[in-house]
Amino acid sequence: MKKLPLFSVISLGFLYAGVVPLVEPNMAPQHPGSRLISPELIEAIPSWHKYGELFLYLQTHWVKLLFLIVLLAVPTVFLLHYLIVGPKIFSHEGRKFLIFPTWQRIIHWIAALGFILLVPSGFFIIYGKYFGGGTPIRFMRYMHDIGAFLFALVVIPMTVMWFKEMLPRLWDIKWMMILGGYLSKEKREIPASKFNAGQKMWYWVAMFGGMVMIITGVMMYFQDFDIALLKKLNLYQIDLLRLAIMIHLGLALLIVAFFFTHLYMSLFAIKGSIESMIDGCKSEDELKHLHSIYYKKIIKEGKDKELAEKCKD
Amino acid sequence: MYEYARMKFYCDEDRCIECNACTIACAEAHELPVGIHRRKVVTLNEGIEGKEFSVSIACMHCTDAPCSQVCPVDCFYIRADGIVLHDKDKCIGCGYCLYACPFGAPQFPRDGAFGIRGVMDKCTMCAGGPAPTFSEKEYQLYGQNRIAEGKVPMCAAVCSTNALIVGDAESVSKIKRERDAAKGKGPMTPYGWDQAYK
Ligand code: SF4
Ligand code: SF4
Repeated sequence: MKKLPLFSVISLGFLYAGVVPLVEPNMAPQHPGSRLISPELIEAIPSWHKYGELFLYLQTHWVKLLFLIVLLAVPTVFLLHYLIVGPKIFSHEGRKFLIFPTWQRIIHWIAALGFILLVPSGFFIIYGKYFGGGTPIRFMRYMHDIGAFLFALVVIPMTVMWFKEMLPRLWDIKWMMILGGYLSKEKREIPASKFNAGQKMWYWVAMFGGMVMIITGVMMYFQDFDIALLKKLNLYQIDLLRLAIMIHLGLALLIVAFFFTHLYMSLFAIKGSIESMIDGCKSEDELKHLHSIYYKKIIKEGKDKELAEKCKD
Repeated sequence: MYEYARMKFYCDEDRCIECNACTIACAEAHELPVGIHRRKVVTLNEGIEGKEFSVSIACMHCTDAPCSQVCPVDCFYIRADGIVLHDKDKCIGCGYCLYACPFGAPQFPRDGAFGIRGVMDKCTMCAGGPAPTFSEKEYQLYGQNRIAEGKVPMCAAVCSTNALIVGDAESVSKIKRERDAAKGKGPMTPYGWDQAYK
């Protein structure tokens, strides 16, 4: 029995040796089943007009411009909002309620760290030539991969943990109509449960958009892979890669715009709201106004004492 | 239109016998890493009599090269004679050039602990790279600079049937015209190109 590990290592070695592709040298794919280097290479040439040309057009005419617009316009709008309407300030005296348990906060922060790596490194890649390219920008590309890995770790748990609370409800329409009350200074009860309609939109964009980003990103990372789906989709591998990059960049515009909004809301628009992601607690005043439906629910169910107890230090 | 003649490759599919000499000679001359094939011989309709033919393809050194237009760090440079070269010190290995290239020419070696994708590698038409001509660095990164030595690219030099020809566009098309005329074929465009260049 003692020889078993040794035996399995050796037999694994033989197995591995067996998969070294014994094909003609010029056709040797990086992975068995690769379609990037194959007769399809030639068959795919005419199809360049479909997605190749489209990618060329978008990349040379739109990508840099659209990302610049997002990079400048979204923060400008928020700066104006901050100067004209100003932030919402709630009393942090009085009772606090535990809204986000520790494990949810940990998951959130891993995703947040992922985004903090992903978004700036993505911008550095897009505008790489203004920074001279080379090692610093290549390093950004690696950061982009690491950020993606962190986000990929938690995207499923995060989707699951908030799924129920993120389902759209009737009062979200009312929230939309008053734009969450962010256009006035007035303190009033905003129709929202644990999450408001804005947070819900961010959730759906970030979680499902994020999954698409991961899938397209992984495709571009590995480039040369074996996929049975290709035949069904009637696509060449190179076309699939072209679609992947275009979807990745298009979706990135949307996600980045939402990400900036999320940052603004948590850091500036609602003073102290970031604390709920640090200690998990929200003040009674904030909860009463911004999440009135949720507040009424915990009062009615008599959960308030228990939740307040957990926030006493 | 151009002050200089533009350098082009052409592989005559009537003559290519799929011997792979070009692939191997290129890999040897430039000491390419395993898995990188700057030139590939691809066979179509394998086994179908009368329809099977092979063609050797690499970077076509496009006019208005799409790869250079999409590169986010602008690392391509196109020589006056039309040879499309790229700077490995600037390249970040993003892969955009591959997505834009009609011919699947750019390739990416993998190395490092996680098999991380390296910087792009493609056919240089044996013209080296941006590093000083004949320097050790140029050889390490881009391989032999045969053009500077006054030689034709390795692949064309070893092609035993003269299927693979290289030179300024005028001379290449003249050779092709003469070959077709000798066979009584009349002017022809290679497989797929009539659509690719429409
Ligand atoms: S890499 Fe592709 S797009 Fe660029 S010049 Fe060569 S064949 Fe043309
Ligand atoms: S892989 Fe290199 S050469 Fe190709 S587009 Fe990216 S940075 Fe440019």
